[in-house]
Amino acid sequence: MSLAFLHAHDGAEPHSDAVWGVSWTPTDTVVSISADGSIKQWDSISGQVSRARAPHTLGLVSLSVDPSGKHALYNTLEGLTCLWDLEDGEVKGTHESYARTGGESTEPSWSVSLNPKGGTYASTGGSGNVTIHSAEPGSFGERRATLTSGRSKFGLYCKHSPDGSRVAMSSEAGQIYIFDLASNSLQTTYSSHAMAVRSLAWSEDSNLLLSASEDKRLILHDVRVSPSGKPGSGAVATLSGHSSWVLSTDISLDGRLAVSASADKTIKVWDIGARAAVSTVQDNGEVWSVSWRPKPPAHGTAGAFVSGGEDGVVRWWRSAGAG
Amino acid sequence: MMPQSRPEALDSAYTHVDPLQQSGEQRTKFPQHTQPLGSFQAQAADMLQCQWNCVDDDDIDLPLAISDDETGEMLHRVEPIVYSGAAFETMQLITTGEDDSAPEADIEEDEDIRDEALHQIEGLVLSFMTQLVASLPASGAYSQIASKKGGYKKIALRLADRRKEPTTSDLNMRTLEMPRGARGASARPFAQLFRTLDLMHKALTDDIPTTKRDMYYKDVELFGSQSTVDSLVDDLAATFQIGRADLNVRASSKGLVCGAGLRLHLHSGEILAVSDSEPILIPPSEDIERFEVDSNLAWVLVVEKEAVFQTLCRLRLGTHHALPGNGLVVTGKGYPDVATRQLVKTLSANLPEQIPILGLVDGDAYGIDILSVYKYGSMRMRHEQEQLAAERVQWLGLWSSELAGLGIERDALIPITKYDEKKARVLLKRKSTPPHWRRELQHMLFTRRKAEIEILEALRSPTRPAEAAEAGGIRAAEAGNPGIPLLRYLSAKISTACMEAARREP
Repeated sequence: MSLAFLHAHDGAEPHSDAVWGVSWTPTDTVVSISADGSIKQWDSISGQVSRARAPHTLGLVSLSVDPSGKHALYNTLEGLTCLWDLEDGEVKGTHESYARTGGESTEPSWSVSLNPKGGTYASTGGSGNVTIHSAEPGSFGERRATLTSGRSKFGLYCKHSPDGSRVAMSSEAGQIYIFDLASNSLQTTYSSHAMAVRSLAWSEDSNLLLSASEDKRLILHDVRVSPSGKPGSGAVATLSGHSSWVLSTDISLDGRLAVSASADKTIKVWDIGARAAVSTVQDNGEVWSVSWRPKPPAHGTAGAFVSGGEDGVVRWWRSAGAG
Repeated sequence: MMPQSRPEALDSAYTHVDPLQQSGEQRTKFPQHTQPLGSFQAQAADMLQCQWNCVDDDDIDLPLAISDDETGEMLHRVEPIVYSGAAFETMQLITTGEDDSAPEADIEEDEDIRDEALHQIEGLVLSFMTQLVASLPASGAYSQIASKKGGYKKIALRLADRRKEPTTSDLNMRTLEMPRGARGASARPFAQLFRTLDLMHKALTDDIPTTKRDMYYKDVELFGSQSTVDSLVDDLAATFQIGRADLNVRASSKGLVCGAGLRLHLHSGEILAVSDSEPILIPPSEDIERFEVDSNLAWVLVVEKEAVFQTLCRLRLGTHHALPGNGLVVTGKGYPDVATRQLVKTLSANLPEQIPILGLVDGDAYGIDILSVYKYGSMRMRHEQEQLAAERVQWLGLWSSELAGLGIERDALIPITKYDEKKARVLLKRKSTPPHWRRELQHMLFTRRKAEIEILEALRSPTRPAEAAEAGGIRAAEAGNPGIPLLRYLSAKISTACMEAARREP
């Protein structure tokens, strides 16, 4: 199986500012968000824009697509969170997380993540806590629970586990927190990094968590929850090789490969089992986000992924083995 | 002294006074002091009303829609710039179209302003006293009546609130009340206000100017901090709708300028020549009679930090051979004071288009905010905004987006603080922030790092510094000196800016 990756094609029209997030959806479309305030949905074969929303005044900083590929949740720099239906193009809910509502203390959201089981979404912010909000159209954005990490460092990224039982959050100081959603409490804290962790990726079986940090490394964590309740062994491997901040990471559906995007303008593919880099591709500028195609790769190939970076272009890459 | 324009659009009490009208009748147009109590109070309130165009708190839209008609305010005229050197014509300054009046008119003008200032001050005090009288219990009533605070009428004085954005048709006012519901002596704010009024009144009647600093030191215990005096003076100026200088409170100078090609002729007869080795304090504009600019002036650089300014001064940037001509380096030492802003505004309004006016600030929210103060004006000095906003100021650097190109590692950048974040969000909300600034602010918030000018020092030193310096137009002998990366950066960017400015249609 060849592990070289080639540039397949670019999106037909670039964003007018950096692409800060991309997600390859199960319906084989790609959703991208940009600093220019717009969100676009692309057809993966042609690279054409199939759907777009009018740009917001501020950039979009976070994107989360549900497992069915029907909804995209995104958040702007100031904390306006929107739920966009990818099938009919309507916005099903908006929440102004920056608005001060008399009673409870609120904070503007930063990173958001849809619960794969539906009904709620999680957000991080400056307080270092994770807030669980309702994702139902009628009550969109209403606070359901606050999960406290115990530290007040800025929460840069959060993501639910694919089985919907937990949510992981990474902070500007480097800590990674895993909260159990059944009890709404903190389950484990990992201090494997001493610098900001910008992105997290779960394996499909919810057993592995890969963190991407400004310390130029990715760390693989065993986060299995054993029947006895004991957490997994934690950091099990370090993936080094990038020469600048690692900005984004994703684990392939079959759990064999990881992809990472970096400020060093490269994208690396890693063999998780071998804990080693197997491919490096050069991009034009800092690469802010990367996402695997969520389908098992064709026989003899290693799959495909999409990336977005500083130059505003959404870029598709495919394994060299594919015809 | 130069003629001043008159404030218009003050209803009721004051009628418009035509500056060119020479008759002594003007005095009688001011309301008499012998008014019945009730109506005087009403008049006092009226005096403080005015019509300002207003926008929402969240809808800040600088430059503001305060036209000359509304405030009619003008500080000091932008003075003529006289070009020295052969065959240069005198440039007429840009004013609101006043003609030069005869000297007698000038003196009368000043007297009118002084009278008005005095009158406003006295009016405010009278208003207080009448309220005080009105709120006292009837004479003869003794302590049989429980002296609940509620039994007394509150005395309220309204001052302009410069912090809030002007709302529709109402000058934003804040109220000083006595007695206050809050903890602490109610009398103190009033005492501070009246002491300030007293000092200003004295300065006007004696015709001896004072400064905010002087006023503070006259009664440190009462005022507590310099900023109290600062706010009160500016609030009163905004309330009375006259310039601070008209209250005979002069600005003290903070800003510095160095370089070559500018001479300041003061009213006192002194001539301040800007030198490229020793910085000079920027005098308040009311002291400056005229500017004299050399024909070989090529650029103006406004610098945020004093430390950077001193480095550039030591490097004699103003006359450095690596730059396309002589230039001026100005600093306000952070947020600029009025005198510095007036200097930059004067240069911006009068220098030919080919001379770029460039701002060197940190690539963080505060740097950009300082730049916007130079360019668009500040919230607190909104009432004198027209005279202080220097439209031509461009952001030279430092941009966080150019750091990668300069070879600066991301790790060298400093993490932003909560204050940076807050400030950046405020700036992003403002519609007046230009698109390029917005991109940089967004980039800063997203990476959560900021670029301070000192970071240039962290540039990797080239393997053959002498040659690299030579390539950057700097003599090999200087290559080892500190500040060289900054110099290289500036010489490249200023040269580009000058070329672009030269290409623009004059």
